[in-house]
Amino acid sequence: MSVSFKLAWRYLWGRKLRTFLTTLAVIFGVMLIFGLNGMLPGMIDAFNRMLLGAAGQVDLSVTSASSGYFDSSIVDKVRNVNGVAAATPSLRRTVGMPTGSALGTVMVVGIEPRSARKVHDFQQQSGRFLAGSDRGVVVIGTDTAGELGLRLGSKLTIPSVAGTRSFEVIGLLGNASSPGASEIYMSLADAGMLVGQPGKVSTVEGRFVTGVDRAAVESRVRRALGSDYTVGGLSTESQLLASLKVGQFSMTMFGVFALIMGGFIILNTFRTLVSERRHDIGMLRAIGARRRTILGVFLVQSLVQGVLGTALGLLAGWGLALLAVNALVPIWRTAMHMDVTIKPVFTPGNWAVSIILGMGVTILGAIIPARQAANITPLEAMRPQMAEVADRGHKKLVLVGWTLLAVSVPLLFITGNTSAIGMGAVLFLIGMILVAPALIAPLSNLFARLLRVTSPATAELSSSNLTRQPGRAAATASAILISLAIVVAIIGLLNSIFAGFFSYIDKSLGSDFVAIPQGLIIGGSHVGADQNLVNEIAGTPGVGDVATLRLGAGKINDGEVQIIGVDPVMYPKVASFTYSSGTSVADVAMLGKGRTMLVNGIYSAQNGVSVGQTLQVETPNGLKDYKVVGIATDYLNAKLASTYISQDNLESDFGVTTNVLVLANAETGASIPMVKARLERLFRDYPQFILYDSKDFKDSQVKLIEAEMPIFYVLIGMLALPTLLALLNTLAISVLARTREIGMLRAVGATRRQIKGMVVAESLLLAGVGVSFGIAGGLVLGYALTFATDAMFPMPYVFPWMGIITAIISGFTFALLAALIPSRQAAKLDIVEALHYE
Amino acid sequence: MAIVEAKQLTKVYGSGETAVTALDHVDLSVAPGEFVAVMGPSGCGKSTLMNLLGGLDTPTEGSISIDGKEVAGMTDEELTKLRRRRFGFVFQFFNLIPVLTAIENAALPLTLDGMSEAEARAKAADWLAKVGLSDRMKNRPDQLSGGQQQRVAVARALVTDPALVLADEPTGNLDSRSSEEIAGLLKTASDEWGRAILMVTHDPRIAAHAHRIVFMEDGRIIDDTQIAGSDDARKAMEKVGLL
Repeated sequence: MSVSFKLAWRYLWGRKLRTFLTTLAVIFGVMLIFGLNGMLPGMIDAFNRMLLGAAGQVDLSVTSASSGYFDSSIVDKVRNVNGVAAATPSLRRTVGMPTGSALGTVMVVGIEPRSARKVHDFQQQSGRFLAGSDRGVVVIGTDTAGELGLRLGSKLTIPSVAGTRSFEVIGLLGNASSPGASEIYMSLADAGMLVGQPGKVSTVEGRFVTGVDRAAVESRVRRALGSDYTVGGLSTESQLLASLKVGQFSMTMFGVFALIMGGFIILNTFRTLVSERRHDIGMLRAIGARRRTILGVFLVQSLVQGVLGTALGLLAGWGLALLAVNALVPIWRTAMHMDVTIKPVFTPGNWAVSIILGMGVTILGAIIPARQAANITPLEAMRPQMAEVADRGHKKLVLVGWTLLAVSVPLLFITGNTSAIGMGAVLFLIGMILVAPALIAPLSNLFARLLRVTSPATAELSSSNLTRQPGRAAATASAILISLAIVVAIIGLLNSIFAGFFSYIDKSLGSDFVAIPQGLIIGGSHVGADQNLVNEIAGTPGVGDVATLRLGAGKINDGEVQIIGVDPVMYPKVASFTYSSGTSVADVAMLGKGRTMLVNGIYSAQNGVSVGQTLQVETPNGLKDYKVVGIATDYLNAKLASTYISQDNLESDFGVTTNVLVLANAETGASIPMVKARLERLFRDYPQFILYDSKDFKDSQVKLIEAEMPIFYVLIGMLALPTLLALLNTLAISVLARTREIGMLRAVGATRRQIKGMVVAESLLLAGVGVSFGIAGGLVLGYALTFATDAMFPMPYVFPWMGIITAIISGFTFALLAALIPSRQAAKLDIVEALHYE
Repeated sequence: MAIVEAKQLTKVYGSGETAVTALDHVDLSVAPGEFVAVMGPSGCGKSTLMNLLGGLDTPTEGSISIDGKEVAGMTDEELTKLRRRRFGFVFQFFNLIPVLTAIENAALPLTLDGMSEAEARAKAADWLAKVGLSDRMKNRPDQLSGGQQQRVAVARALVTDPALVLADEPTGNLDSRSSEEIAGLLKTASDEWGRAILMVTHDPRIAAHAHRIVFMEDGRIIDDTQIAGSDDARKAMEKVGLL
């Protein structure tokens, strides 16, 4: 065993508490990165299973490039391609089941029975399979039948665009083609009627001739069909997947922040180790240890902690993902009506990132102190062991810090540009970290004045303890800064987002009644309703103006986008958009004139689209030019990139006439409860909708947000935890490093209580400095985040009072908690042993 | 030939008005097997001389040769190797690694030099036995008395068979009995094991174990006397006014 390894191991083992505390920082960071990223792919995978169906089980899958429906005749073109053995059309659609059903959603699959059996391997368990002429019958998997409580001959009721329809179960399949997706097989004709797309299909699937060059066949199919079709995988609803991927990025950032905090904690620990072991290192150098041997001792030590911390972090992350997924499933069921089984998925990328960052941050945190250690001269061994003395300030770095702060101010408050503000926030945070050592003394003296009121001697000692090691105090304060700044910023951002959403609800859904899909997402599993329902609503006594939203899917510049159809005359009468500057209600009327569109904030921000531009939209009927006449956002679609066109254009270019959302006003003087009761009777046959009056709806939204808040709080709480770790680590180090000094204080008459008080006061002072930094950083970060988000969802800036209060409470509570063990240890020290402590 | 030879050795700390001359044109040589004690009041330059001779510090002026080889111009790596193989160090504050056992501490210079652990331990065990610690080999420093810790340090200094052992106030932190034991050990190292010893001390009783006493004052050597026992030592000290 090499000397470096032996010494490193012995030092680690000899200081178990410190090793544990430092390693805990690594464990925490890795846990967040690995766990959160393990949870999200699981959710994405669940979406895939739900929405992309059995695409993976066939050789070939053809969909419309605009993600819409297409004519079934396309299947013949596929069949004629050399290398394709069989092809079959299908119409797939996730359908939300009525409230009270054992399943929230089912996947309706319309098939052509004869050709489908040539492509898919259906294992009939009982009853019979579908025949070509079958109508009003379905075949389902045994697991789905079990969940829905159905047997052969049972009736299954499914919502359709023309009211609910009943189907008889004639066969049970032994294998569900995609686990977790409850598939209901029926004739293509029945499925077309059910979703309002007669004669249309969503997918053509094929099986290749055995042994052919798959890529070559795919390429031939592509040539035969042209650019209107996607060959290969399905891409349905990928906007949602994109949203989840943005979420995944944010989660990674949380983890990275946590690891940076871990890095500060490690840096602190190793700096202290070096200062404590100067004598040992000097002696080792005197008796012939090379510089690289000394460097090796510290690097091996950090490597061991990195390996240990990363391994335990991976384990803890796995637990976190499992816990979070189990907590999320019921929320998904309620909020989005998605009935899925989510399992954590740990991708090779996640493993790699977690391991590289875990190990990397630990080694990086140790490298500067390790290099300092290697430069210690043998003469250090000759000097008597000194108590901790003040470390040298880093004047140049502090100067760089002040410069960064000065540069950040105009970027933050003058440019008004999202990227510049983001850059300003980052510079501000880095600047604060660099100037921290210079601010430790004045801030600590300021807080010490408060403490002097209760205990003058203790306040004096703790303040001087902090200020003689400004580097260590600054690193701790920086860890607290990052941790609490994120807390303040996120709480501020959430407050702004919620304020914005409630204002959207008032505007976008300002009608007296609103009938919305159960899942709050107007696409996806929602089948909607045809014009008959709208006519019936309009004809209901007491109902005034009625407007609807319709939904199509298209592509602009190869990017998928929701195309929402509105009636330019009726929509402004019952609801309103939130308009970005330069756009007004008059622009909605423009939608009735030619091919014009409004784009929402997200779409405009993501694609840099501005008013007056003409966009080429891929539609099922080819490319169409649409002119952008305004930027406006409605509540339900605020979270997805969307565009708005007239319902007439949606019908002629996209063939969509189904209404997915209905808004209605009551006539003046009509009784809201009475009108609602009439409408409820009408909606009984359309269980895919939930009817609210506007007050109920707002209440339900508040409830939904409140249901999600605990998850945010848990996440935010986890981000504040490193504050506790940083303080605990620093105080433990501080007490160990000053053992002799504490012994001396006890020897000259300090009571155990005074020693305890000194450590607690030091913790509170450090927290005071860290909380001040955290609030300043959080305000700037929150401002930048709100500004960036505002480009997508216009929202008011809400000053984060709650965030500041949370930061103060958590900072000082953690300070008291962190001081518990070290202060007791310090107070319990035996005077003689402490005086001889090395 | 002398193990170590210093010529016109000068060390100045600081510059300009604040410059302090710690060592002022000192000539000194130590022969193989010789036990030299360096004495003088605090601040006379004893430790500076020792640090320079041990290759721990670099002189402002003058030259040092070790085994006839000039030290000036040696790289850090060469000096490190020289210290590891030709010198042994004993410090006032023992300077043992607190997390290593006695035998591991004693074996440290050998393992640093790449010797196999088994071989290094065997040699360290021999030396610990010679210094009377065969029953304490597995104890950590905090389980040993001050005298025992310093004996481990002596074993560590001798384990590489160095030509010169440099001891800086080796008894400065010990009671009188332990001090006598350590001084006796150093004498044995010189007389029986043929090691040259250069020891800085304040204690006349400890200096009396040496073959020669070098007296210093204000950075200069004021007297250099061969002695044979405590009477000679006392006379030499009286001569320079230390007694």
